[in-house]
Amino acid sequence: MKNIKSKTRNNMKNIIFGLLASALFMVTACNKDKNKDEFNKAALLQNFADNIIQPRYADFKTKIDSLETLFIAFQTNPSEENFESVKAQWKGCYLSFQRVKTFDFGPAMNTGFKSAIGTFPSDTVQISSNISVGSYNLATATNADAVGLAALDYLFYQTDAYLRITSVESYRQYCLDVIQKMKAETDAVVNAWTTFKSSFIASTGNESTSMFSMLVNDFCQDWEEAKAAKLGIPLGKYSLGIQRPEYIEARYSGYSLPILKASLSSIAEIYSGIGINGQDGVGFDDYLIALKKENLNTTIKDNFRVIDSNFYDFNTCLENELSQNPSSLENLFNAISQQVVFIKTDMTASFGILITYQDNDGD
Amino acid sequence: MIDKTKIHQFFNPFQQVSIAPLIIFRIIFGALILIGTTRFMLNGWVQKLYIEPTFFFPFLGFEWVKPLPGNWMFLPFVLLFVSALFFMFGLFYRIASVVLFMCFTYIELLDKTNYLNHYYFVSLVAFIMLFLPANRYCSLDAHLNLTTKQVLVSKWNIGILKFQLGIVYVFAGIAKLNSDWLFDANPLKIWLQAHHHLHFLGKFLQQEWLAFAFSWTGCVYDLFIVIFLFNKHTRPFAYSFVVLFHLVTWYLFPIGVFPWVMIFSTLIFFSPNFHERILQFITKEKMQTLSLKTLPTFNKKFVSYALILFVSFQILVPFRYLAYDGDLFWHEQGFRFSWRVMLMHKEGYGRFFVVDSKTKREMELPQQQFLTPIQLDQMLTQPDMILQYAQILYKEYNGKTFYVAGLPLKILKPEIQAEIYVTLNGRPSQLFVRKGKNLVTIKNDLNNRTWLEEFKK
Repeated sequence: MKNIKSKTRNNMKNIIFGLLASALFMVTACNKDKNKDEFNKAALLQNFADNIIQPRYADFKTKIDSLETLFIAFQTNPSEENFESVKAQWKGCYLSFQRVKTFDFGPAMNTGFKSAIGTFPSDTVQISSNISVGSYNLATATNADAVGLAALDYLFYQTDAYLRITSVESYRQYCLDVIQKMKAETDAVVNAWTTFKSSFIASTGNESTSMFSMLVNDFCQDWEEAKAAKLGIPLGKYSLGIQRPEYIEARYSGYSLPILKASLSSIAEIYSGIGINGQDGVGFDDYLIALKKENLNTTIKDNFRVIDSNFYDFNTCLENELSQNPSSLENLFNAISQQVVFIKTDMTASFGILITYQDNDGD
Repeated sequence: MIDKTKIHQFFNPFQQVSIAPLIIFRIIFGALILIGTTRFMLNGWVQKLYIEPTFFFPFLGFEWVKPLPGNWMFLPFVLLFVSALFFMFGLFYRIASVVLFMCFTYIELLDKTNYLNHYYFVSLVAFIMLFLPANRYCSLDAHLNLTTKQVLVSKWNIGILKFQLGIVYVFAGIAKLNSDWLFDANPLKIWLQAHHHLHFLGKFLQQEWLAFAFSWTGCVYDLFIVIFLFNKHTRPFAYSFVVLFHLVTWYLFPIGVFPWVMIFSTLIFFSPNFHERILQFITKEKMQTLSLKTLPTFNKKFVSYALILFVSFQILVPFRYLAYDGDLFWHEQGFRFSWRVMLMHKEGYGRFFVVDSKTKREMELPQQQFLTPIQLDQMLTQPDMILQYAQILYKEYNGKTFYVAGLPLKILKPEIQAEIYVTLNGRPSQLFVRKGKNLVTIKNDLNNRTWLEEFKK
C-alpha cells in the first residue's frame, strides 16, 4: 500500500518534473560542453550484479553443493581421508561466504541468509542437546546459534570430533541437516537473484531504500562488523580490555584469521569493482574519481593494502595471537577502525546518500 | 511624486483592511497541518521517531518536556489532527488554535533529532494565529453565531504573517551568503550529482555549472523574492517563480510538505481582492454586503509593543551566532532557529568509549546500542547532542558491574570519551572530537564550544 502510494507520487513527481526538465533542457541545449567525468550508477550496479554478486553467489553455491556431496560420500564411507576432504571443503565454503555476506539486501535480506549461515559463535550446548535428543527443528529461533558454518566448525573440529562423528549416527545426521539447510537457503537466494537482478540495477536513487544506498550501507556495515565481531570483541575492545577468546570465530578450527582476511579483502575488491574473474570494473573508486576525489580514493586504496599486509605479522591462529601478539592485533584493529572513517564518512558523504527516509532540510 | 499619506498608511498597523487574506490563510494552514499530520502518522513516523527510541534529545531549557509512554504518543498527533480540522473550519477556533499550537510545539520539543526549520516555522505561525481573529468570516464559529462576523481587520493581523514568511526567505538568503554555497556550490554539488540517474536532467546534474546556477539562483531568490511579492506588478511573475522553485526542491530533496507550505502560505501576499474572490466562490456571498462593524480588539499600545517585541526577537535570534568564535557550520552554536536551510552536508563517524576512572580500563561501545539510526546520524555532527549522549551513556554505565571472564568489575563514575570525525560540505573528514576528553564534565550550555577540535577550512 505504502509502496504503491509512493510510486504514484513519484510518477506524479516525474510528470511534473519532466515538464520542468524539458524547459530547462531547451535552455541548456545550446550549452554543449561534454562532461568527461560523467559517471553512471547504473553501470556500477550492472557490473556488481554481473561480475561480482551473482558470480560470488554461484561460487558459494558450488562449494556448498560439493560440501553436501563430499559429506554424503563420507557418510557412506567414513574414513579419515574423506573427513579431511569434507573439512577442507567446509573451509572453502567459509572463505567463500565472506564474499557474499556483504550483500544483505533483496533476496538475502528477505530470507535471512546472512545470519542463518554466518552467525557465530555457536551455542555448543544447544548443538549437543539437539544431537542427543535427536529431534529438532533447525529453523526455530532457539536453534539460531546451532546452525550454519560456525556449527560445523564445532562439529568438525572439537576434541575427538572424528571419533564422535564416526561413532554417533545422530551426530552425522546433524551435520548433514546443517549442510542441507544451508544448501536450501543458498539455492533460495541464488534463484531469487535471477529475477531480482533487473530491479537491483534499476534502483539507482539516493534515497535510503534504493539498492545503491543499501549496497553502500551494507558495504560499510560489513567492514564494521569485521572490525567489531571478528576482531574487536575477542581482543577485549568492548569489554574493558579483557580478552574474550570464547567469541572467536571458527575457534575450533583456528581459521579465524584467514576468514577475517577474506572478509576484508572481499570488501577491498568490492570497492574497486573487481569481478570474480579479476577484471577491474566500475566500482566505488570510479565514482569517487568522477567526483574529483582522487585523494580520498588513494587513501582508501592504500589503507586496504596496509591492512592486508598487517596479516604478515601473524603466524598462528587468533587465539594464540591474542596471548602472544596482542600489539599486532591492536595495530590491525586500529587500521581497520581508521578505514571506517574514510568509507563511512568521506565516501558515503561524497555519494550524497541519505541515511534516513525522513524529511530533512539539510541542517 | 511620493505620496506621504500612502506611505504612512502602508506602515500603519491599525489601518482597517479586508479580512479575506487572513481567512484564506487559516483554511490553508489548517489543511496543511491536517495533511502533514496524516502523512506523518501514515508513514509510521510516530512509532519510529517517538515510540521506538529509548532516549531523547530535548532542547536546552526544555529538558522537562517528556514523551508520553508507549502508544500514548499517538494522542498529541490525534489531537493535532482534530484541532487542525476544527481550525480549518473555524469551529471553536480559540480552543482549536491553542490545542494545535500546544500539540505541535510539544512534539517538536521532544527531540532535537527531528528539528526542521519548517517545523519551527509552523510553530511560530501557530503561535501567531492564537492572537488573530481568523474565525470571523467564512467559519463555523461565525455561521453558528459563536462569534461576530467581521470583514475588516487591523492591518497588522495580515502584516505579521507576511513578516514571518518574509523572515524565512530573507534569512535563508542571508544564510546562503557563505563561501561554501557561493564559491564551491556545496552542498548542492553533492546532492545534485546523486540524482544523475534521472531522465533528461540527470546528465546535467553532474555538471558543476548547474550546481553553481542552482546555488546562486537560490540565494538571489531567497534574498529578493519578498520584494517582488509585495509589488503588485511583479507579484504574478514572482509567485510563479515561487511555485517553480519549490517544485524543484520538492522533486530533488526530501523536504516533505515544506514546499507546499511555502507555495500556499505565500498566497498571503496577494491582494485582498484576490482572496475575496476565492471567499465569494466558497461562501457564494459578496463580502461587501456585510455591515461594517468595528469590534473591540486588543489595546493598540499593547499590540504595538507586542509586535515590536516579536519582530525584534525574530530578527535578532538568527544573528546570535555572531556572538561565537569559530565556524558556525562546525560548532553549530547558534545554528538552529535561524532559517539555515539546505546549507550543510555534514556526516560524522564516531566511536564512544567508557573509561573506568579507577582502573583506566576502557571499552568501545557498540554502535547503535542506545540510539536509533537517525538519532545516531544527527548526534554525531551536532555538538550539543554529543554532550547529551555522553550524559545518557554515563547514566547507563555508572555503577554497572561487568563480569568479564569471571572477574567482577564495578564501574564507578566512568569517563565518557569519544573520537569523532566529521566531513562538512565535501571536505575530507576532520577530527571533530578528540579522544581523551571526558565529555561528562563538559557543560551543555550557550558558551563557545572550545572542546571541539579546530576546523580547518
